[in-house]
Amino acid sequence: MKMNQTINKSTKFRVLSDDQIEQIFYAALEVLERTGGMIYHEEALELFRDSHAVVKGNHVRVPPYMIEEALNFYPRKITLRGRNNVRSLHIQKDTVTFGTGSDLPFTHDRKTGERRRTTYQDVTNAAKLVDALSHYDFFMSHGIVGDAPNPQTYDRHQFMAMLEGCTKPMVLTSVDGEGLEDLWKMGCLVQGGEEEFRLNPLFVAYIEPISPLKNDKTAVEKLLFAAKKKLPAMYTPCPSSGATAPATIAGMLVQSLAETLMAVVLCHLKSPGTPLIMGGVTTLLDMKYSTYSYGAPELSLASAANTDISKWLNLLMFSTGGCTDSKILDEQAAAEQMMNLFYSYLSGANLIHDVGYMDHGTNASLESLVMNEEMMGMVKAFGKGINTDDDHLALELIEKIGPAGEYVTSGHTFDHWKEWFMPKLQDRSDYETWKQNGSKTMLDRVKERTQHLLDTYEPEPLDEKLKKELKEIASAADARHS
Amino acid sequence: MDLSNISETLIAGKADELRKMVEEGVKENINPADILNQGLLPGMDAVGKKWKAGDMFMPEVLRSAKAMSISMDFLRPLLKDDDVGNAGTMIIGTVAGDLHDIGKDLAAMMFEGAGYNVINIGIDQSNENFVDAVKEHKCNLLGMSALLTTTMPRMGEVINSLKEAGIRDQVTVIIGGAPVTEEFAREIGADLYAPNAGSAVDITREYLQNKN
Ligand code: B12
Repeated sequence: MKMNQTINKSTKFRVLSDDQIEQIFYAALEVLERTGGMIYHEEALELFRDSHAVVKGNHVRVPPYMIEEALNFYPRKITLRGRNNVRSLHIQKDTVTFGTGSDLPFTHDRKTGERRRTTYQDVTNAAKLVDALSHYDFFMSHGIVGDAPNPQTYDRHQFMAMLEGCTKPMVLTSVDGEGLEDLWKMGCLVQGGEEEFRLNPLFVAYIEPISPLKNDKTAVEKLLFAAKKKLPAMYTPCPSSGATAPATIAGMLVQSLAETLMAVVLCHLKSPGTPLIMGGVTTLLDMKYSTYSYGAPELSLASAANTDISKWLNLLMFSTGGCTDSKILDEQAAAEQMMNLFYSYLSGANLIHDVGYMDHGTNASLESLVMNEEMMGMVKAFGKGINTDDDHLALELIEKIGPAGEYVTSGHTFDHWKEWFMPKLQDRSDYETWKQNGSKTMLDRVKERTQHLLDTYEPEPLDEKLKKELKEIASAADARHS
Repeated sequence: MDLSNISETLIAGKADELRKMVEEGVKENINPADILNQGLLPGMDAVGKKWKAGDMFMPEVLRSAKAMSISMDFLRPLLKDDDVGNAGTMIIGTVAGDLHDIGKDLAAMMFEGAGYNVINIGIDQSNENFVDAVKEHKCNLLGMSALLTTTMPRMGEVINSLKEAGIRDQVTVIIGGAPVTEEFAREIGADLYAPNAGSAVDITREYLQNKN
């Protein structure tokens, strides 16, 4: 019997110590008590006025005990079920899932190589790929349905495009509270009613504050709707260090935590137990080109630190990875996407989104989605860590094969090599073979695989009757807004 | 007073010192237009050049722009409307339904740095608010920002409203924001499009020079 053993079932990675997290947490409490935040929503202000918060006009300041109390009520597990009836997305501490980002205005056109506006068809294609590729656990729209009949109701049409191609759970952006309500109604139809949806939510609602410390009307109405229906939601600050947040990572983390905690209190006042997820695209404003960077190493560092904080708070975490500032799928894209995928994965964030994002969150690329599939596989292979049980220590085997033997033909190898990562796109061939196969680059292979998947993969079709009912909700919204 | 000292202080982004120097210059009876054209504007030109060369970065550039703006607040009332270099008034805002503000704010600061009297009317501004602001402040430059595909069309609507109000010719219209393109600007009849705040001032200046 061995005593006091610690076995690492996975690799371990942490940026902040507990003491550092406490510093950041206390600082965020101080921000909410002293600096406060702005809230532009009447019902929310009413809720705060009826509490111990101090409200002057739109300015709300919150004493720490309200925050500590509210923090006790957040769920530590949320399970989503896709339209394929599989409860596949277990959002719980240290369980990592990957997904795309949403709403990219432009698309890299695979035929012309040019940038053009994203369409409904592009979103359906992205949906298909995400459905086909096994490392994607959830789907955000990747692009925006730029050809929707009315910008004011695009979210309903986007959801349709997503559902047509993808059976996996989703994260949805919406225009406003009314839009979110329609999406929720559509979700209930898919899951078989409001009660089924409550037990098996199909999607998480994506909501954001405006850094620094501002909460606009549409964001708050979505938040309150989510609280009312117990719809899983995330309130994810998007601060840019140096522009809408301090230029220090610690300062940015303090501010964005304060923004999160404001929502934590608000949802608690509305309805305790709201399945609220913490979030954050914590990055910097590039000071040469004034762009919001999706490829900076600081994004990886700040995001991993934010995940450390989320675990300490017992909140679930929506993080960022697999994204780049590069305009095309090139060496820069690979380097940046790999870096932020890797560290978000190691940090153990629960939902890692924006996988495939190009050009600092403005350009969509189906090929980027496909290349990331390979990289997610590599990252996961690393995260598995090293098994050190007797079979894996292989002492008996080493003795059996002995000095100067070979392992290729042993049963142990036959059993275990399949634990390795199997590349689909990485080329490990010898030079001559590579040449015979056409001297292809990574990008050539990515392009071929993308085309192949689009040509051959058929997602489980959406039931025709259901489709009609869903479309009715979208059409009714169009009529209301025409 | 050696006006090149004003340029140097501006490049260094020392706002208080710069303002004092400008005030002193006026006290010494230096023509305000000269302070602008031989002190401040050459300073900002140098800042722009250094930035493009990668010798200066956003926080430094915007400190200089802020210093410029503070000095201009003092100098502007002393300038004559037709003084060379007197840039005029700009209205800038983000269109209705759109809450993205930082890009528009950066553009605003750059125009302040170029000597404009910039009135930043904020985010989520209705079409009427834009038109009213143009009328009220008799501005000669209008900047609009939209970061959402869904709110971009508002910019075209504002331009149409300006036409209806008969004041379209009063202003040069420049637009920007991540989903906005040159082509879109042409479609809706904006005069100018700038892909970033840095180029916006140059693009505007060049356009106005060619126009006159
Ligand atoms: C930060 C951010 C936010 C923050 C904004 C906070 C703030 N204080 O501004 C928050 C969280 C509030 C936010 C909200 C939303 N956002 Co947003 N956001 C961004 C993000 C990541 C960065 C924007 C930014 O700050 N860039 C840095 C600044 C400096 O750059 P810039 O704004 O582009 O401005 C530069 C130039 O464009 C130009 N410029 C800009 N305006 C003007 C004007 C003039 C006159 C001139 C000359 C130049 C000029 O100069 C600037 C400096 O160079 C972008 C992605 C992106 N890369 O653009 C998405 C993005 C714009 N958002 C997007 C979306 C979808 C949303 C939401 C709808 C999400 C949702 N469903 O809740 C909401 C909408 C809220 C609303 N009604 O407006 C989409 C838009 C997609 C589309 N197809 O329309 C984007 C592209 C990201 C994405 N792919 O999803 N967002």
